[in-house]
This record gives sequence, structure tokens and C-alpha cells, in this order.
Amino acid sequence: MDLLFSLVINGLMLGSLYAMVSVGLTLIFGITKVINFAHGEFMMIGMMLTYIITTYLGIHPYLTLVFVVPLLFLLGIVVQKYLIEPLKDSDEHIQIFATVGLSIAMINLVLMLAGSNNFNTPSSGLRETLGLGAATVLTGQVVIMLCSIFMVGGLHLFLTKTQMGRAIRATAQNRNAAQLMGINVSRINMVTFGIGIACVGIAAVLLSPLYPVNAQTGQSFVLIAFVIVVMGGLGSIAGAFYAALIIGLVDAFAGFYLGSSLKDVAVFGIFLLVLIFRPSGLFGNARKLAHVS
Amino acid sequence: MLKKNNFKTVTLGSLVLATAIGGLATQAVADVKIGALYPLSGGLALLGEESYRGLELAVDQINENGGVQGETVVLETGDAVDNNQAIGEARRLISQEEVKAIFGTFSSARAIAASQVAQLSQVPYFELGAVADDVTERDLSYVFRTNPAASNFAETIINMLVESIAPELGIAPSELRIGIIHEDSNYGSSVAKHQRTFAEQEGLNIVMEEHYPASTVDMSSIVLSLQDNEVDIVLQTSYQDDSVLFLRQANERGYQPKAIIGAGGGYSMTPTANAVGHEVIDGVYDVDFTQFAINPDFAPGVEEFVDAYVERFGESPRSGHSLMNYVGGHAILSELDQASDLSATTIRDAMTGIDIPVGTTAAGIGIKFGENNQNERAIMMGMQWQDGELVTVYPEEASVADIRTHQ
Repeated sequence: MDLLFSLVINGLMLGSLYAMVSVGLTLIFGITKVINFAHGEFMMIGMMLTYIITTYLGIHPYLTLVFVVPLLFLLGIVVQKYLIEPLKDSDEHIQIFATVGLSIAMINLVLMLAGSNNFNTPSSGLRETLGLGAATVLTGQVVIMLCSIFMVGGLHLFLTKTQMGRAIRATAQNRNAAQLMGINVSRINMVTFGIGIACVGIAAVLLSPLYPVNAQTGQSFVLIAFVIVVMGGLGSIAGAFYAALIIGLVDAFAGFYLGSSLKDVAVFGIFLLVLIFRPSGLFGNARKLAHVS
Repeated sequence: MLKKNNFKTVTLGSLVLATAIGGLATQAVADVKIGALYPLSGGLALLGEESYRGLELAVDQINENGGVQGETVVLETGDAVDNNQAIGEARRLISQEEVKAIFGTFSSARAIAASQVAQLSQVPYFELGAVADDVTERDLSYVFRTNPAASNFAETIINMLVESIAPELGIAPSELRIGIIHEDSNYGSSVAKHQRTFAEQEGLNIVMEEHYPASTVDMSSIVLSLQDNEVDIVLQTSYQDDSVLFLRQANERGYQPKAIIGAGGGYSMTPTANAVGHEVIDGVYDVDFTQFAINPDFAPGVEEFVDAYVERFGESPRSGHSLMNYVGGHAILSELDQASDLSATTIRDAMTGIDIPVGTTAAGIGIKFGENNQNERAIMMGMQWQDGELVTVYPEEASVADIRTHQ
């Protein structure tokens, strides 16, 4: 029983970490229809910034949110405006190549500037363990769990209750109709891309005290983030959240009962089953999928 | 008169010029060109460059002492940033630069790719740092390796466990419950395979074995499995990220086995210790290439090497890779100095003449090429993190400190 409890807690903690990383990706995917292969690299840049600001200013890592999130928001806008937007009328593959290229360029830029060293953001007490019955968790993990819930709830409120949110959803539903209604679609795309990247910026700041960062760090998280986004339903933020928790739990249980070598088999096996039986994802619907393709 | 003078000057001038050009030309031809193939950019650049620095120091020293067969050794670098480029650069070094031999490579995958090219062109290829078995186990007559291989990792780990750690713990080796965890690439898998073989020979009790991708972001289920199987001794073969992740998560979950023995660079580097925390890594064992806290009687010249390194590069060595490359490179170049000429076959045949006993080089290793041109006197060192420093504790003649066990 203690063991089961430990596994559930481990799974939920890992799941909420995945959720944080995936939410921005699904937003960008769902609204701008761009598959952002550089998503992990934006997170890596965010973690690098967190490290640099924390060490140079000597402040608590979480305080770097005020710098990192706006910076990444701006970076997202710049990328959308100068890289993705000019390609909007070309083939979808071209956009994919553009983000893949961006990803390679970002990794190598960081390799050039910082080498392949690992950088450790000071843990500032966030690696303290908390006893939760039989399970142990880190304070930083609990923060990630709570923040992922707030982030998903906040984005949901933003998209449903604000004028901008409604405009974003309108654009997602039908770009041309939204444009006819007087919505500036390219501005909406820019803001959405910016918000998506800002979300991964929040994830980067919260992750930094727990994980060392190097040029390749983004790659470790991004594949599983894609699985989560597709499994949750393209563009469904709540879907991504639940899918992330499911993947986290599968990862923890399969890792223990099947062994680490087979846990990816379980994760991707479930992913395949979802694709076969619910191709639009657990929480997506066919309309959305048709729209994306 | 004027004309005559003019004629003289011109003649003299041409003579001087001709001699100068001739001199330059002879000098350029006479230098001994050696290829140095390492990953000098990209993800492996840090240790690739560290390895290359060792070879540079060896060449400096050889040149100071009169070079090879009276000629200056010149290094021509190739950047093996990935496997394809390793092949491309090996081709360039051989066909355009016409190097006499290639030295390299740090990365096993790059070494395996590039040495194939050298073998086809019949250019001697000297591996000074890559550990995978396959580097020498492909029956390639021009490929030699001076550094220890994957099997040496496993052999030293198991021997240290049986001869030193278990007696210190006061427990019979066969009663210890051993867990093997490793990253799942060629490197981790081949070390683990040898660990199993050597452990079975010693009659040890392996209760668990798991592998994982090196890019994993969570090892909590592995820690839970180790706890659940009551593993006393953890053997991990890993890169840096997964070493850090495992040591952190094991500590945070209160898992305290009797010993953790790591293999390779992930456990040896100071950045790992800084990331994990010095109080957490204290007492952890590591088997790797010779590092610098070693008995100088067993590794004569190691202190001079560090001095030369600091003088040339303005900082302390970042890992033992430079030392291993230095020792291998120096031994081979010294042997070439004795050879009759520098044709590929002469170089190849000269290698059988190298006969350096263990405990006489700056890395403590001996050099004698045996089966498959693998150095059969290559050995690894057993080390332990003690008070923030990685000190050699095994074998005894190389050690500078006693093993400390935390019970």
C-alpha cells in the first residue's frame, strides 16, 4: 500500500511537470497551427536565463519569473513575426522545417556560447524533502504541481472570459471568418505564440532549481510533450493536463513494475492505442483535428 | 662596371632566394604530419578538447627532445563533431594532408567510424581515449588502442568490490546484494555486460539489473526498485546528467546503499560533485581513467604533467582524459622515433616493440599491444570522493588514501 501510494505521488509529480511543459505547446499548436519543434529549446533558453539571473543577481530562482517570462514572451513574438508569419502561405512542411532549423540553431548557439557544460541553478531550499506518508516529495515539485493547476485554470479563464481570449478562440475556429469579423489574425498569432513561449518560460523557471541545464536539455522533455499534446487532443489545454498526469502515472508504474527499460514501451503503447481508437485525442474532437490538417 | 655589379647582385639575390625557398621547401616536406581527430565543437567538445590537449603536450615534449627521427612533429586537426564528419575529416587528413598516422578520438562512435577509413587507406590509427569494445574487436590491422576498454571498467569495479570494499565492510562478497543500472547506449550496455560476466566469475549475487535512456528526466522508479530489492551495492554506468539525477534522487528518497560505484566521466567530474552536493557524493566510488590524486611512485611524471598543462593552458586539467592521451601519444611517438622510416607498414610493425611495464608511465598504465592491437596492460583506477576530492583508493600501490565506508 505504501509502495502504491509512493508510485501514485511520484507519477503525479512527474505528470504535472510534463503538463507545465506541454501546455504552451498545445496552445501554439491549437491556435496558430504551427508545430513548434523548437519548444524544448525555448525552455532550455528559459532555464539558462534563470541560471544566469539567479547567479548574477543572487536572487531566489522564482523571482527571475519577472525577467524570464516577459523575455520569452517577446522572443516568441519575434519568432512568430519574423520566422513563422512570413511562411504562413507556404506549405506546412516548410513551417515545420523552419522550427526544426530554429531548434538546431538555438542548440548550437548555446553550445557555441556556453559549451556543453551543465549549469546548476542554486536550489534555494526547493530540494528539501517533505514527507507525505510513505512518499517523499520535494518542495519544488509541490510548487510545480500547484502552478500547473493554476496555469491551466488561468489559461482557461483567459481564453473564455476575456475579449482577447475570445478573439484567439475565434481565430482557432476559423481564421478567415475571424479576419472578416475584424480580428487582426496575424496579431492574434503573434500574441498566442508569445503566450505559449511565456508558459514554457514559467516551466523553465520552476524546473531550474531541480534540474541542471545544458544545451541539450530541451530535447529530453520535448518528445514526451508532443505525445501528451497529441494524446490530450490538439489544442486542448485541459486535455494536455490530464494526458500529462496519465503519462506521469504510467511512467511511474511501468518504471517500477516493468522496469525502466520497458516504461517507454508502455507510454508509447498507450499513445498508439489512443491514436487508433480516438485519433482526435482523449479530449479533442474531430472538428478540431480536421481543421488542423 | 655598373653592369657587372648589377649582374653580381642579381645572381647573389637569386641564389639567396633560391636557397631560402629550397630551405622552406625541405623544411615543409621534412615535418612529420600527424592527424589529430577529436570532437572539438558540438556536444562532446569539452572532453574532446581535453583529450586533444594531452596529445598536444605529448607532441611538445617529443619536439623539445629532437622530434621523431630528427624531424618536427606537426599536428593537423580534424573536428569529429559527428560520425559523418569524423569520416569526412579522416578522409581529408589522409588524402589532402597526407598524414603519417591519425590519433584520436575520445568518442567511441566517432572512433569506430573514422578508423574504418584509416584501415581502408592503410594509415595507422591510434585510439587514445575511446572505450567501446568494438574499437579494437573488428580485426583491423592498422588500428591500435592504448587506453583501457569497457571490460577494464568492469574488471576493476568487481575486483575493487571483492578485494577492498567488501573486506572493509566486513561482509563476504557473495552475501552482498548487487544492483546494476546503466544507460542504454553501447557504452553503458557493454560495461554492464562485462560487469555481469566478472561478477558471475566471482560468485557475486546480482539481484537486479535495469537500463534507461541517458536523457531520462526521472529515476524515482529505479530508486524505488533498488530499495524494494534491498540492494546493498549499486553499480551505475552513466553520463553526467543521469549520474547527477540518480545520486540526487537516491539521496532525497533516503536510499543509502552500502556502496555506490560509478563508471566513467559522469562520476569523475567536479561539476557532477558540485551539482549533487559534496556531502551527498562523499563516499561514492568511481572507476575511471587515471585522475590526478594518485601515488606518484605508481604514476611517475604525473606531477610534471600537471605543471606542464598549467603552464601551457593556464588552468588545471579538467579531467584525466588529457593524461591518458598524453601517455598513449607520447609512447607511440617515442617508438616511432626509433623506427627506420615512417611508412605505414613500418609504423604498424614497430608497435610490437613497445613494452612498457605497469606503474612506469604518468597514468600508471603499462603499454604492450596484444590481441586485436588492444593494449593489454591498460588498467583503470578505483577512486572515491572524500572531502570534496576524488582520490585514488585502488589498486593499493596507486592509492593515496584508505577506503572509507559509511555503515
